[in-house]
Amino acid sequence: MLDRRNFLKLGGATAFAALFGGCDKIPKKIIPFVIPPENHTLGEALWYASECRQCPAGCGIVVRVSEGRAKKIEGNPLHPVNRGKLCARGQAALQSLYHPERLARPFALTGPRGSGRFREISWEEALSLLLGEMKKIRGKAPTPLLMLTEPMRGHRNLVAARFMRAFGSPDRVAWDPFGQDAFLAANEAVFGVRDVPEIDIARTRYLLSFSGDFLETWGSPVHYARAYGAMRQDRATVRGKFVHLGPRLSMTAASADLFLPIAPGTDGVAALGIAHVLVKEKLTAQAIGASALWNEGLKEFTPEVVAKKTGASPRVLAYVAREFAGNQPGLAMAGNGAAGCTNGTFNLACVALLNVLAGNAGMPGGLSFPNRVAAFTRYGAEAGLLAPPPESGYPAVRGAVGKMRSGGFRMALLSGSTNPAFTLPAALKFREALLAVPFIVSFASFLDETSFLSDLVLPVPTFLEDWGDDIAPAGHSGEAVTLSQPVVNAFHDTRSMADILLAAAKELGGEMRRALPWESFRECLEEAYRGTGKPWEDALREGGFFSLAPGPSRATARASGPALPKVAEASFEGEAAKYPLVFHVYPSTSHYDGRGANLPWLQELPDPVSTAVWRNWVEISPGTAKELGLSDGDGVIVASPSGSLEAFVSLHPGVAPGVAAMPLGQGHSHYGKDARDRGGNPFSILPAREESVARGPAWQSTRVSLTRAKIGGRLVRTAHPEGQWKIGNVM
Amino acid sequence: MKHRWAMAIDLDRCTGCGACVVACSAENNIPVVGEEEAAKGRLMHWIRVNRYWEEDSPSARAVYLPVPCMHCERAPCEIVCPVYATYHNEDGLNAMVYNRCIGTRYCANNCPYSVRVFNWYDYKWEKPLDEQLSPDLSVRSRGVMEKCSFCVQRIRRVKDKAAEEGRKIRDGEVQPACVQTCPPGALVFGDLEDPDSEISRMFRDPRRFRLFEHLGTEPHVVYLKRRKGAGV
Repeated sequence: MLDRRNFLKLGGATAFAALFGGCDKIPKKIIPFVIPPENHTLGEALWYASECRQCPAGCGIVVRVSEGRAKKIEGNPLHPVNRGKLCARGQAALQSLYHPERLARPFALTGPRGSGRFREISWEEALSLLLGEMKKIRGKAPTPLLMLTEPMRGHRNLVAARFMRAFGSPDRVAWDPFGQDAFLAANEAVFGVRDVPEIDIARTRYLLSFSGDFLETWGSPVHYARAYGAMRQDRATVRGKFVHLGPRLSMTAASADLFLPIAPGTDGVAALGIAHVLVKEKLTAQAIGASALWNEGLKEFTPEVVAKKTGASPRVLAYVAREFAGNQPGLAMAGNGAAGCTNGTFNLACVALLNVLAGNAGMPGGLSFPNRVAAFTRYGAEAGLLAPPPESGYPAVRGAVGKMRSGGFRMALLSGSTNPAFTLPAALKFREALLAVPFIVSFASFLDETSFLSDLVLPVPTFLEDWGDDIAPAGHSGEAVTLSQPVVNAFHDTRSMADILLAAAKELGGEMRRALPWESFRECLEEAYRGTGKPWEDALREGGFFSLAPGPSRATARASGPALPKVAEASFEGEAAKYPLVFHVYPSTSHYDGRGANLPWLQELPDPVSTAVWRNWVEISPGTAKELGLSDGDGVIVASPSGSLEAFVSLHPGVAPGVAAMPLGQGHSHYGKDARDRGGNPFSILPAREESVARGPAWQSTRVSLTRAKIGGRLVRTAHPEGQWKIGNVM
Repeated sequence: MKHRWAMAIDLDRCTGCGACVVACSAENNIPVVGEEEAAKGRLMHWIRVNRYWEEDSPSARAVYLPVPCMHCERAPCEIVCPVYATYHNEDGLNAMVYNRCIGTRYCANNCPYSVRVFNWYDYKWEKPLDEQLSPDLSVRSRGVMEKCSFCVQRIRRVKDKAAEEGRKIRDGEVQPACVQTCPPGALVFGDLEDPDSEISRMFRDPRRFRLFEHLGTEPHVVYLKRRKGAGV
């Protein structure tokens, strides 16, 4: 509806509207005819630009607002990350704004922890409770205050970080279950830059993906999907080829021209096999000069040796290597499946090595490392707070859990949709540790597994009612800062975490007041972007600052050339005799880390591969099923050394033999009636293991067994397992 | 001003992500039916993404096929409606008059593409989810058939605006919700009356095919075949 050209035109009309973003005072039932708001014509919709926070990608959005109500979210055509496009999760965000189970009032716990007995309290009472507890622990050394949030960027993060620093507590932890620790570590080792590169899929000719899920959940999926479409069909004479290696045919893999099933955790070895052929046959200029790599041990990785470890055919691997070298610029990339093994950094470093050997660094159609922090250099040492690297924060979470258990915290401030009580492996015993903290405060929109355990729940606005700024971690070369504004008036009596922290700092006074001198978060933002050359209203109307001068791309070549990554094998918990299958987990395309599970639209969106709705399932290949005596739709108990859960079997012809695959995101015990009782939570049967180098969570690190069991209900799928039509007849 | 609206779906771009399905639900006030009704095959989506397996394990390949209403030129659904609730409008759209529909479901029975969905109940939007409902189109009641309208409300809006400004509708100005959001740009919408439009160009693409072409329904939705790269 709203293309780029139109949007620019519309801009003039909505400038005023954007300025008054959150100020339309429209009563719930009646539209005031007598004195309508200045910018409002009955029946005419207004569009407001903001930012989506359904995942960390940071896509720009425009929201259609009619009579003070948000009606539809679309991508912001001006935004460099998504250029007007949006994924299913972004589209569904409207339902969290108008969700029947949203928290509308502050709540205080009245029963024992975890009983779910809360009473409604006023904001005055809530804030005095909060401040009372804060004053009690203020000045104690060491300060027993923990702040555990989702990863935040921009000034929201600056406010939170300054608050904690001024309070005297070093324990500020940001938790992202799909943080890119291994990717950062691998890039540092191979390219000398600890950052996420810009990946130019649109102009590449050959895309080699190792357990990648870049079209569904990894990194910046809308940005990559848009580029993928361009890679296939935007060029008159070139159609980029896409080859995928991995333990499971994911939605991303389904788009590949060639899918090679390989054993879990062998992505690095497979990449070395391809590198071996590149160097041995001297296929690229860089490969010719790579004799050091060869002698360091690359010569051992012949396609035959690699084939034995991965299960891919040596002939095909060699063929792919030759094709990759012959179709430059090419790209090699890896996703959650490769990064989440205990040898994740090794896997990703080997894949990065392929890019070096093919000479892709700094090339159009290859990868580059723009300096995205450049927009914030005026903050000096604090610039890193505004554009933090996309880490998982797992080591800090583990540290915090230990400290909680030993009574090191008197108070915990929890916030964010990453929901640690749901997304941390049960083996870590986060719940038990958290309950040892005497006072827990949650900033939340819903009662999820984490906020359910709190003593005080403070309702916050959804991102559609909130102010903010952001710099996306991928999808632009540092030229874009996104702004978010309330697109509608706050629907409930909510206050944002930043505003509450500012209010608390004012009350606590002294150094805290000096660190956070603003009256409101909105004021903080307006002040920050004053004097950037572009009027604040214009920036709000367009959704941010999209034409900043990007900082120079950072050099990628290491003086000595990359070394061969230290070979590491993936290890899996459990004996093969007792637990015959390797457990492969992946973020659900609908629910991501579980945050989408309470939205009916996403529950009813059929999974792209299994076509299942409203429930969890476990995928095995027909061959594995035959060996285990299982058939499609059977109920099974999936047991790992760390726990067990119930699920239905969905036969999947594209899963590597000996692998059981399961989506993450379902299996909530709280989080509303649409999320509850939808099968087991796979996070709960994962071991609390770390990736060996970067110390991120190693999700792909356990074995499981499947035992047939009688479980209630059935798995609803929109496609009959046999296929409702034969594809050949349709075409 | 005569129009002939049509859609092209490039399977070489489609990734099967389902953004079109949710965008459509948000745009067209499509109810959520729940697990039990979904098990009976009563999902109300106006566009679905079919998934097919090509070949068997282990060299299996999934193929995605987004299926909205085909807006057939010779629509099998229209000729069986006893009350003319489903009809052909002046733009070549296969349109529905909900007020006329008496729920015989003959049309759904006669649709080879299974794109028509029936309101078995008065679906409820639990308050305040109803705040999101689009004011541009009605919420259908029990006993009424419904289906993809090519977002006729969006077509109208653009038509009105173009008329107001005394100009022609520009190519790409009308975009149904699914087309607007499609991340890889697999869906394209436009006017076949305009020979220079993107859609007219795509209708001439040699990869073009229609679903069940042999039935002679002459759909206004064409697909572009997924190309196969040189394999091994």
